[in-house]
Amino acid sequence: MFSEFIQLTIAGLAVGSIYALIALGFVLIYTSVNVVNFAQGDFAMIGAYFMVSLVVVLHLPWWLALLLAVAGTGVVGALFQLLIFQPVRNRPRNFLPVMIATVGASVFLEQAFLLIYGPIPYQLPPIFKAQSVALLGVHVYPQYIVIIVVTAAMVALLNWFLERTKLGKQLQATAQDPDTARLMGIRVAWMAALTFAISTALGGLAGLLIAPVYTVTATMGSTIALKAFAAAIVGGFGSMKGAIVGGLGIGLIETYGATYISGSYRDAFPFIVLILFLIFRPYGLFGEKVSQKV
Amino acid sequence: MVRKLLFGAGMIALSCGLGVAHAASGTIEIGMIADMTGPAALSGQHKVDGAKLAVDEINAHGGINGKKIKLIVEDDRGQNQAGVSAYQKLAANQNIVAIIGSIRSTIVQATLPYVARYKIPTMIGGTDPKLTHVGNQWVFRFRPNDTYASATMAQYAVKTMGSKKVAILYDTDAFGSAGNQLLKAALVKDGAKVVSDQGYTTATRDYTSFLEKIKNSGADTLATYMTNSEDEAQMLKQLRQLDLKVKIIGSTSIATAVCIQLAGSAVDGTYGVSDFVADGNDAAKAFTKLYVAKYHSQPDVFGGWVYDAMNVLSRVIAKDGTAPAAIQKGIRAVKGYHGVEGTYNFDANGDGLHGYWVVKMQHQKVIPIKYVG
Repeated sequence: MFSEFIQLTIAGLAVGSIYALIALGFVLIYTSVNVVNFAQGDFAMIGAYFMVSLVVVLHLPWWLALLLAVAGTGVVGALFQLLIFQPVRNRPRNFLPVMIATVGASVFLEQAFLLIYGPIPYQLPPIFKAQSVALLGVHVYPQYIVIIVVTAAMVALLNWFLERTKLGKQLQATAQDPDTARLMGIRVAWMAALTFAISTALGGLAGLLIAPVYTVTATMGSTIALKAFAAAIVGGFGSMKGAIVGGLGIGLIETYGATYISGSYRDAFPFIVLILFLIFRPYGLFGEKVSQKV
Repeated sequence: MVRKLLFGAGMIALSCGLGVAHAASGTIEIGMIADMTGPAALSGQHKVDGAKLAVDEINAHGGINGKKIKLIVEDDRGQNQAGVSAYQKLAANQNIVAIIGSIRSTIVQATLPYVARYKIPTMIGGTDPKLTHVGNQWVFRFRPNDTYASATMAQYAVKTMGSKKVAILYDTDAFGSAGNQLLKAALVKDGAKVVSDQGYTTATRDYTSFLEKIKNSGADTLATYMTNSEDEAQMLKQLRQLDLKVKIIGSTSIATAVCIQLAGSAVDGTYGVSDFVADGNDAAKAFTKLYVAKYHSQPDVFGGWVYDAMNVLSRVIAKDGTAPAAIQKGIRAVKGYHGVEGTYNFDANGDGLHGYWVVKMQHQKVIPIKYVG
């Protein structure tokens, strides 16, 4: 009974880590350029497919493949914002055309990768060959541990980058006030590109981490991204801490709910939580309470 | 100048028209909807492979009364909406004389109203018993339906495997839901207790929560009614990871080449019921030999039933012509046809087969145990 709880908690934290990574991507782009990137989930798919090509076709060692796949996804993300964001970035109220463009890009990316890789799901071998490993006397799937550890490391790395490096602080400054940042000599256009690159790279990492569990298909990103979006809102859209807590929380709620309440409604739980939050606490767990003086 | 252009255009149009008419009289067009993309794309590929094998074989022997068969495939994406659009596109094509429908009962159910409206003989592989029992005279089932499958599974589980407490995992679509009801009733009738009954949505990727509940229920056997072999493989892999010690017996999706390919060693030691078995009869053996030679992989039910459907259809058309009513009457009159799935005897409802094999999965191969029919 208790060992089952441990197994479920680890599974919940693992899937929650994936949601957290993608939610972080949503929040980073939103706070810096005020748009929601609806193609975020598809970068998870891109990262997973790159990993498939690097590992299954080129037989590279997994750590090298991981770095290349994540970097590759970031490059695609930078190209993506060049086509979608850069042409309209100086227009006032540019968020609407950009958001609609990301929806279109999402469809395009899914179909493009479907054409390139075909409709048959790919099996990405897990990083550790063992089917299960004994942790605290409980049998756990090693890939889940890998997901949790790599996500924690990546979040720590991101935090160090944003708080302790000059480039990171420039990124934060641009997010807070692009005009003043420009006056300070920061290349605002490059900051936007960097933000997209980091966000999409996070998404790609999420995709390749969960790929051994879910198998790789062209549509794998959309359901995950929807739940990650809910997680970002629950955490407070605009707060990185919120994205992480929201992601992990949604992952745990989904897993516990599916086991202890009803398996058939597994996919409903994240959205039930979202609806409750939107009714009772729309600014989320860590979001800023926005009130308008009329 | 304009008059010359118009005359030239007219000549081109005329020759195109003549060309089309010529093609129409020289070939017999048969339509097929298949999962070319979507959650069951691998199964769909096997379906197209099986159909093409039959078409090439028939055409190599001169076609049907000298006319070659032209197979027109539309993607149903493994979904109801796309399945209906694909079916309508084929049905609206005046040249198509018959359509091979889906193996998924939920898609067949969605297309039934259109089958009745367009009155085109439609061959189906879905096993939900309702599909041939709603009075639709244009539907013909080329696989044994689930009243036989569930009875066979329950009987084998209780009498031979010694199952006393059974957990059921089923897909919540038409096939799985109907199958679950039949299986529950059959198990109770044979004296077993159903300790867990869980439904999941098609293309679920994470079965951990379902498997934990099964572990807690104290079941000695897991019986599955899973629609897609892709889902079955995913569940079996996770079952092995969680080290769940239960006997397993599944509906046909467990005993397919798709399941073996995606599950690997996770499928070993499981039991299942299957209508297609590679060495079940002489026709199956011959079909398997041709399939392996052409595609370098093992065939399964996805290619098997459409191979039979295509062959039966070509025999009926050769004898009775291409008029829809004639094909309808002709298929219903088929008795004693030795196909790869078994011997077809069509009854008044349009069901052609009435029995299943019990099989065991060992070393990633399908081992037939006995035929219950």
